[in-house]
Amino acid sequence: MKWQITIMIIVLLVIMATGFTIHSSKPTPLVFKIPPGWPQPTYNFKENPLTVQGFELGRKLFYDGKLSKDGNFPCSSCHQQFAAFATYDHNLSHGYDNSLTTRNAPALQNLAWQKAFMWDGGINHLDAQPLAPITAPNEMAESIENIIKKLNDSPEYPVLFKQAFGSKEINTKRIMQALSQFELMLVSSNSKYDKVMRGEASFNLPERLGYAIFKEKCASCHKEPFFTDFSYRNTGLPVDDVLQDMGRMKITGNSADSLKFKVPSLRNVAVTEPYGHDGRFFFLINVFDHYRKSMVVGPTTDSLLRNRLPLSNYEIGQLTAFLYTLTDSSFLKDPRFAPPGYTITPPFMHVH
Amino acid sequence: MCVWVLYAQSLQLKFVALAGQQPLVLLDSTYHTALNEPVTFRNFLFYISHIQLKDDNGHEIPLKNEYYLINATDAASKTIDLPVKPQHIASITFTVGVDSIKNVSGIQTGSLDPMRGMFWTWNTGYIFAKLEGNSPESKAPVHYVTYHIGGYKYYENALRVVQLTIPQKQTVHKIIIGADVLAWFNKPHPLSIQAHPICHAPGALAMQIADNYAQMFHIINVE
Repeated sequence: MKWQITIMIIVLLVIMATGFTIHSSKPTPLVFKIPPGWPQPTYNFKENPLTVQGFELGRKLFYDGKLSKDGNFPCSSCHQQFAAFATYDHNLSHGYDNSLTTRNAPALQNLAWQKAFMWDGGINHLDAQPLAPITAPNEMAESIENIIKKLNDSPEYPVLFKQAFGSKEINTKRIMQALSQFELMLVSSNSKYDKVMRGEASFNLPERLGYAIFKEKCASCHKEPFFTDFSYRNTGLPVDDVLQDMGRMKITGNSADSLKFKVPSLRNVAVTEPYGHDGRFFFLINVFDHYRKSMVVGPTTDSLLRNRLPLSNYEIGQLTAFLYTLTDSSFLKDPRFAPPGYTITPPFMHVH
Repeated sequence: MCVWVLYAQSLQLKFVALAGQQPLVLLDSTYHTALNEPVTFRNFLFYISHIQLKDDNGHEIPLKNEYYLINATDAASKTIDLPVKPQHIASITFTVGVDSIKNVSGIQTGSLDPMRGMFWTWNTGYIFAKLEGNSPESKAPVHYVTYHIGGYKYYENALRVVQLTIPQKQTVHKIIIGADVLAWFNKPHPLSIQAHPICHAPGALAMQIADNYAQMFHIINVE
């Protein structure tokens, strides 16, 4: 009889212990789906496992003005969903106290596969990226100390940090990891192009002709499936005399890198205008004209572009048709990436 | 009792900021560099990591790697309690700076939190050591002298390893190490404030200044 009681007690204790673990509410894991045929991501998810709570916290932070000095410049002020998280219609974005950025805000998509960030590749980890715009005086102009203070003072954030990371502590690492969790989920892989590749749709004639021209003339730098090879190249944009932006050379200190900038992805290119590292091209036709007519060939100009990039009007027409197939409307309207509380994506907003 | 036990089990490193032979006085004192340029200091910080202690037989005493930010304006930061019992120590070796793995692994906490202001946001990497002040010889705005030294990539590596020998054989409770700011300007690369009032990026100049500050340490006393 004694051993039966012992077993009963053990069983009861186990049941009670199980109840305890359920009540300690671990965050719910969030699955990161790698689109079929794509390589393994670069980001180390083991260091920052995705959870529903972490993602939702990152989403809230991404849209929260508290991350900026005067409250007016959340990440989303320059990274708008309808523009694939670039700044719609702005060559340079607007920052704190009537300032301008010095480069065009890039689209935020497929970041899990990027090894380096910014037009010059100066930032080597996704978690470290937000520190640059947050602390830059011409962007969000805020300090990490102030942000932690503001978040701690708010009624909601300490609880959200506890749900995502297990305790109410708010520190630099947790803020950055939460932002990364949101940004990592920004995967764009459902454009018409992707559907064609998966056999779910087919190109019309101009799109098909454009794809053939693309593969011949553009794809060596704008490599599929990301439509960038993540390299740095000088595509013959003459240096702006005010910005004096030498690009990659600022990071490496190597004159061979002068005027080189990261090859941008062409995914969602139809909604990410203006183009170029300083947004000097307002329309796609300006980019094509640059390649075929106005390129300045200098010592560091890419070897593939020594003779510029001859393009006929016919080719530009077909290429444009193909590039429009890279627009992923399900990504641009995905309610998971909209500001918290929105059940549908917000209408086009011109904030600044 | 408990406190006494903890104390007895630790070996203390104490850093003292110096200007030449004298304790460094921030803001109020003007010093002269090796090239006889006057300079006033405002801020002096550096990272210490990978501390290794060797006993009399040359054996390494096991020690977990930690990163310490020594800040001349923060008294508590200048004392490090190592979890090692007092014993005979023949030499101490440490790295000035933060190794490459911590420069490429996102955001760290504690002394390596980017909030400490020892982190470049635009060109990811830690600032290993910082010396800031003013000099009439500086042609930079407000005559600033600002040296932010770092660089973890192989072609711009500013990590420096320092080895100091303990002169006497005795049971060591405490090692007092001097860090002389004037050594930044001295050798092997005499540094002219007029020529280089600013260093804010990894590269050749940063590596030269790192060579210089690797020479700034000496043992003042062992207790």
